[in-house]
Amino acid sequence: MTLVFTGLLSLLALMRMPLFIVIAAAACYGFYVQDVNLSVVGLEIYRITDTPLLLALPLFAFSGYLLSETRAPERLLSLTRAFFGWVPAGLPLVAFLTSAFFTAITGASGVTIVAVGALLYPALRQSGYTKDFSLGLVTSAGSLGLLLVPSMPLILYGIVVQQMDLPIQLELTDLFIAGIGPLLLMIAMLSVWSLWATRHQREATVPFSPRRVGAALWQARWELPLPVILLGGIYGGIVTLSEAAAMTAIYVLVIQVFLYRELPLRQLPRVVLNTCVMVGEILLILAVALAFTNVLINADIPTWLFEQVRGAIENRYVFLMLLNGLLLLLGALLDIFSATIIMVPLIVPVALSYGIDPVHLGIIFLANMQLGYFTPPVGMNLFIAGIRFKEPMTDIYRATWPFFLVLLAAVLLITYVPALSLFLLK
Amino acid sequence: MSWSKLRVILHHLENALLVVLFIVVIGAANTQIVLRNLFESSISWIDPFLRITILWLALMGAMVATRERVHIAIDLFLRYLPYRWRIWIERLIHLISALVCGIVAYFSARLVWMEFSDATLAFASVPLWLCEGILPIAFSVMALRFLLQAFASSREMLDKDVLKQAAQEKAVT
Repeated sequence: MTLVFTGLLSLLALMRMPLFIVIAAAACYGFYVQDVNLSVVGLEIYRITDTPLLLALPLFAFSGYLLSETRAPERLLSLTRAFFGWVPAGLPLVAFLTSAFFTAITGASGVTIVAVGALLYPALRQSGYTKDFSLGLVTSAGSLGLLLVPSMPLILYGIVVQQMDLPIQLELTDLFIAGIGPLLLMIAMLSVWSLWATRHQREATVPFSPRRVGAALWQARWELPLPVILLGGIYGGIVTLSEAAAMTAIYVLVIQVFLYRELPLRQLPRVVLNTCVMVGEILLILAVALAFTNVLINADIPTWLFEQVRGAIENRYVFLMLLNGLLLLLGALLDIFSATIIMVPLIVPVALSYGIDPVHLGIIFLANMQLGYFTPPVGMNLFIAGIRFKEPMTDIYRATWPFFLVLLAAVLLITYVPALSLFLLK
Repeated sequence: MSWSKLRVILHHLENALLVVLFIVVIGAANTQIVLRNLFESSISWIDPFLRITILWLALMGAMVATRERVHIAIDLFLRYLPYRWRIWIERLIHLISALVCGIVAYFSARLVWMEFSDATLAFASVPLWLCEGILPIAFSVMALRFLLQAFASSREMLDKDVLKQAAQEKAVT
């Protein structure tokens, strides 16, 4: 009976049944079979109010949506260009940095390709880069920055791990610091590859000019304090994450609506609605997944899975290799939030037993997910790029794969050299 | 008043409530920061209020997502099927979704009733049943919406689908 139910539900799940319905159905069925009163489902959903950190998600998402509705991406781009436009292959470097920052602040929902990529792509083409190179660069840079605060997947990983009953405590700040090294490695490797790939199509570099820098700084004057509010607050430990999110939200709201005046007040409800729909969905999946996790625990499934994996795999490197494969596949199939909510509780206990640091595991998890965003044939960013730049999917695949290989190498390095993530800690 | 007119008004109300609640969250969270850092005091009920409001926002966001049919879902092969099949599979999925939401709504209503009888307080003098009240409401509304969508005319289902695609493309440009 359970087998038939699971089979049918999985089939429906792959045919566009809303994911929260799939998990809720599984939870209800599980509790029913285990003779538990189904009111527990309601109680479990309500339990997400025990997590004060959750406040950070809608507030950061709101700031991100708001920023992408204004000309903030343009200002960010001209600022980065003024600073780094003079180095060889400067524009690709500018593209990587701008995309990373923007993805971090918009919470990694594919909006980077739309907001920043749309500015970068014509700029790259005008500077003489080939269509394939430009397209591949913009598509693959679209998910860069997942490892940078305040990216929502990073926070969500922390929340999910803290929800679990683990022998060790995970500090969110550690996670935020651990992401920096791997992100810099990715940007460095992509830049080196870009230098090599474009050696025959050198762009005319613009000489560094203090006046340009000054002008770009002046343009972005209201947005410049943002990193201070964010990073100073979080890394400095002055305010909590949720407080930093609240301050960011009100600050972004005030500067974009009243100082830059780029978002008419009547557009604000739409931004709020978009935010609530996206975050509501994530939180609802998180809530029903909490209920479902209890069903799994009642049925001893995590322990069973744990023993199966431990029995089959001796070596930690073999485990990591299989983990890479699994996560890559998941990243291409599931959106990153659902993947985090569903998979992290299952993976973390097993990984811990192989002596993998939960902070390092988070970085591995998210780095793989980042790659999943543009893993052919189903990575979400590939489709977004296809629609946005009006190119056939086959062209997108062809343009993206060299960048994919470079980032794959980076992800493998990050996986097998824990020091890359952990060297700034302890 | 016609049904469709009433529906538009209800949608506006739903949106307005969501937006007001969100602005209140931003305001309350920042008030707390100012109080804590400048005046070294704080209002004790703001933190639980914020946490519970996030649940309300999330569930109301989910209601809107049902209305707009933008739930997160995996489409591995539905998109390759002919439209005629698609419509019937989607009807079935909407029907099952309505059933699941209905079950959750019923049992969370019983939960709310139990808390009502126990008269537990969530924070300050706000009773727990009131905070949990959003659960049966949101899931009932979603159940109803899924049900209506399951029995919508084929044309409406198709149009919505095309509209959604158009909206996605618009969101991307």
